[in-house]
Amino acid sequence: MITLNINGRAAAVDADPTTPLLYVLRDDLKLNGAKFGCGLGQCGACTVMVGGQAVMSCLMPIGLVEQRAVKTVEGLGTPTAPGPLQQAFIDEQAAQCGYCIAGMIMRAQALLERNPHPSDAEIRRHMAPNLCRCGTHLRILRAVRRAADRSGVAIAAESRTSAP
Amino acid sequence: MLALTWRPQLAPIDPPARSSFDAALIRRGEQLAGVGNCAACHTTRDGGPYAGGVALATPFGTVHGTNLTPDPDTGIGRWSEAAFRRAMRDGVARSGSRLYPVFPFDHYARASDDDLQALYAFLMTREPVRAEAPANRLMFPLGFRPLLAGWSLLYLDRAPPPHDTRMSAEWNRGAYLTASLGHCSSCHSPRTALGGEDRRRRFDGGEAEGWYVPALNAKSPSPLPWSVEQLTDYLSSGIARDHAIAGGPMQGVVAGLARAAPADVRAIAVYIGSVMGDPTPQRDERAKASVARAERGPLVANASTVTSGDRSPLGLGAAVYAGACASCHDLGRRLSSGGALQLPLAVAVHDPDPRSLIRIVLRGIEPLDGEPGRLMPAFGAQLTDEQVTALLTFLRQTAAGAPPWPDLAAAVRSAREDESR
Repeated sequence: MITLNINGRAAAVDADPTTPLLYVLRDDLKLNGAKFGCGLGQCGACTVMVGGQAVMSCLMPIGLVEQRAVKTVEGLGTPTAPGPLQQAFIDEQAAQCGYCIAGMIMRAQALLERNPHPSDAEIRRHMAPNLCRCGTHLRILRAVRRAADRSGVAIAAESRTSAP
Repeated sequence: MLALTWRPQLAPIDPPARSSFDAALIRRGEQLAGVGNCAACHTTRDGGPYAGGVALATPFGTVHGTNLTPDPDTGIGRWSEAAFRRAMRDGVARSGSRLYPVFPFDHYARASDDDLQALYAFLMTREPVRAEAPANRLMFPLGFRPLLAGWSLLYLDRAPPPHDTRMSAEWNRGAYLTASLGHCSSCHSPRTALGGEDRRRRFDGGEAEGWYVPALNAKSPSPLPWSVEQLTDYLSSGIARDHAIAGGPMQGVVAGLARAAPADVRAIAVYIGSVMGDPTPQRDERAKASVARAERGPLVANASTVTSGDRSPLGLGAAVYAGACASCHDLGRRLSSGGALQLPLAVAVHDPDPRSLIRIVLRGIEPLDGEPGRLMPAFGAQLTDEQVTALLTFLRQTAAGAPPWPDLAAAVRSAREDESR
């Protein structure tokens, strides 16, 4: 049994320690926000936060997560009460097929928690590892910009109070 | 002293028209700029080609690459060919002021007139970009440039590269390019306290941007000997199946050499191969041992037997390897299409210094913008410092069969601080 801290709750998982976090999130815990894209750490669809950093969960064996807090897109809000970054993605209609979006949001969340006022260049550089095959990158960048302008400070502050 | 070292301003010229340069000469200059990797210091990610502005951290302060485009005010548009030649050979700008030796004129001094003429033609026909280089920040008193004349007296060697009539024309071409525009030994040799290249230890290995730069002579850490073909592949594509994938500062070198004349790249490989020399019986033994380790099968025999409970560095390292590395580097290497290196053969695991392997684990190997290459994802966010240290302890013993690196944990911490800056 390995105990993980996911979105502020303890989750006991019976799986091999080398199992990727992504498989445990989706198959065992039914948190289906993070997606399987390439399984090679090359696309970013599986991005979640571990210990405050954006991490490709397909490359993160659960045996190595240890006590670090895991945050997934489900931890940011609900369909009826979306979090600030989720709302910004809705306002900018940043999703086309949507497959990359949970990963995009979590990578952006990691940036805004650390740096509530990023420059456009910082946003671009930070988001670079995540790919969108539909090509909505410009809307995604606008959504991150909008969230930073509107709620960046709130996102950063909330991460400090909710940290374990 | 000042009278001896003073250099005059050379007369400005009107920027020459593009049509005044021969197309074939420009093309040759482009290939030579690839050999010299001018872009590494003179092209930023967001600026125009050769417009300068790259911040170069040296032990003496930060110096910025200058604008090499023919802009008349901020670039070299008013430089005559004679002024360009003087800068390349003496490290003196057209204005007469001394250039900082992070600009490797100690090597460029040996470039032939023909090659400098071609480079001049190439640079003077680039798109002019108006871009002032940011101010340098140097420790006192190095902001006073005439002092640099002393450095030149110590380190500037104008002797032409050795020409050995017993060797082939290709070897001699390689020796010339390596010693002049290629300036390979700038990074692949240790430096003295004054920042000059230590010529007595040429190709003994050095450092660049926090990476260990491997020795290229008989001290090469590579467990397998390099063939000329493998060196040529590596230099022009960054990939050598049984040795290494180029990472860190070497990626820019490869991007440059991909634009060089293929015959010149091969000539460099022929020369470097001869500097490495024929393997000694002792090195043959090491090669055999490494191949045996690679053929023995996965480094962790059965990943599912590895538990996360063992906190010894070797136990934790094996767990990290099994969970994070083995799916590409081992276990049939199925996920990476068989392209990931077999670590018992990988040069970085055999380096005398862990810095390059630490950087590869933390930041992965990401091809430069617009350049082809293999991608290894970064593991800096996945792994804690303790896990990285344990992984490298494990690899050093199991993959390299070598004694532990001293002060590994401190090296991991310092690389992490540098990466997060």
